[in-house]
Amino acid sequence: MISVSGLTKRFEMDGGASVLALSPVTHHIPEGAFVSIVGPSGCGKSTFLRLVAGLEEASDGTITLDTGATRRPVGFVFQDAVLLPWKTVRDNIRFPLDTAGAKKSEGNKRVQELIDLVGLTGFEDALPKQLSGGMRQRAAIARALADDPPILLMDEPFSAVDLLTRETLNDELLKIWKATGKTILLVTHSVEEAAYLGSDIMVMSPRPGRLKKTYSVDLPYPRTPETKALPGYHALVSDLRSDLRETE
Amino acid sequence: MPRQIRSFIEYGAALALLLVAWWYASGPMGMPKYLLPSPQATFSTLWKMMVDGSLWPHLWFTVHNIVMGLAIGAVAGIALAYVLYKLPRLSTLLDGPLVVLQTAPKIALAPLFVVWFGLGLAAKLVLIFSLVFFPVLIGALAGFRGIDSRMHDLAVLLKLRPLQRFWQIDMPAALPGIFVGLKIGAVQALVGAVLAEWISGSDGLGYLMTYAGATYKTPLLFAAVLLTSLLGIALHAGLTAIESRVLAWKVQDGR
Ligand SMILES: Nc1ncnc2c1ncn2[C@@H]1O[C@H](COP(=O)(O)OP(=O)(O)OP(=O)(O)O)[C@@H](O)[C@H]1O
Ligand SMILES: [Mg+2]
Repeated sequence: MISVSGLTKRFEMDGGASVLALSPVTHHIPEGAFVSIVGPSGCGKSTFLRLVAGLEEASDGTITLDTGATRRPVGFVFQDAVLLPWKTVRDNIRFPLDTAGAKKSEGNKRVQELIDLVGLTGFEDALPKQLSGGMRQRAAIARALADDPPILLMDEPFSAVDLLTRETLNDELLKIWKATGKTILLVTHSVEEAAYLGSDIMVMSPRPGRLKKTYSVDLPYPRTPETKALPGYHALVSDLRSDLRETE
Repeated sequence: MPRQIRSFIEYGAALALLLVAWWYASGPMGMPKYLLPSPQATFSTLWKMMVDGSLWPHLWFTVHNIVMGLAIGAVAGIALAYVLYKLPRLSTLLDGPLVVLQTAPKIALAPLFVVWFGLGLAAKLVLIFSLVFFPVLIGALAGFRGIDSRMHDLAVLLKLRPLQRFWQIDMPAALPGIFVGLKIGAVQALVGAVLAEWISGSDGLGYLMTYAGATYKTPLLFAAVLLTSLLGIALHAGLTAIESRVLAWKVQDGR
């Protein structure tokens, strides 16, 4: 689904200096994978996602998205919500549909489903400024799902929501993934979240940012609170912890 | 709502105070009539002109010119701002000339505009336009340049067409800046409109002032001045009302 080969990103700074944000990364992500990406701050996780999304030009190497003729192959959830402040929650969520020229009536049903899914029922007509940070983030997730992209890229989507909501959203995300077969890349600072969600895990290390290790997670789906009691889960979490500690 | 009511009361109180001072100066204090007409004389002149209909063409002329100049100036200012924002190279090239033009005293150039564009409407509109254009340009440019870069990421992700992007993202995001420019421009437009009428023509509130001044009809002069001030207040209030409606989504900081 996503093949990157020799992917490199160098940021040119004012004055001729440059930062190597990503040193050659070669990796293949199969269709329908749920990849958790972990790594210390500044190791190029966001840069990697932005490259895959086409928001950043690669300095070197190639990215191939195997999505056929889909006009918008990726949905993206930013670190903060990035809603359009002049649009209501509903209009923000339907923005991808409206700008793709979808019929109003078709959009309405889809948007209401998404609003219910992310738990924003009753806030359809609220403006972003009237929402909490976590609610805004949930609206942003709904927006990313609105036009049903085959690939979903999420950059620390749950860092602004409380633990309980976060667990609920994790389970919802797994449900959406199972139901739709989307390929999901999710950056997180929580190794527990990475282990709980991922079918695969990418561990990155800094200076220069690179792919240090990949895991194929063999915990069974569906993942439930019981998953967190499995010995395999605990072993994985502690492996990830020590990977991250080594990179410090 | 309470904020609006409060500012209404504040405006009203200030106006009433001014009126009382005026009345006192012209009546009990005994200022000569040809220097300071009484409020009564001024209002009765105004009332007469309203009733016999001779006021309306003048008022309409001035309002029409202001609105036209404001509209054309705003559209042009926003358009150039967008071009400069999209083409940073061009904007560094045009920075110098624009600063010169912007700081040029447009009002002092008014007679030149008459020489260039004649005694008719064109010169008046050009003057108003030149006064509105720059504040809107500056405000809009600041608005466009201040757009959150992640909104652009969104536009790229959603593969928005240029027009979609302009109307759906860039324009609404720049509106706060544009309104700052518009409000400054509106005051300037009023000044420009009245000044242009002083210079030439026989229509408008500005013309009424020069006519009244030349014929020592001070009540008429005062009536015209009063009306012009009211027009300025109405213009400002109108724009503020539109702004608070259009920018209701904005997070109010401080106030
Ligand atoms: N636009 C940019 N210009 C210059 N340098 C940048 C830019 N974006 C990122 N970098 C640099 O690239 C490196 C990787 O940044 P990136 O944002 O990808 O890290 P990250 O892994 O997402 O970190 P975090 O976990 O804190 O979000 C950092 O050293 C950062 O300084
Ligand atoms: Mg990041």
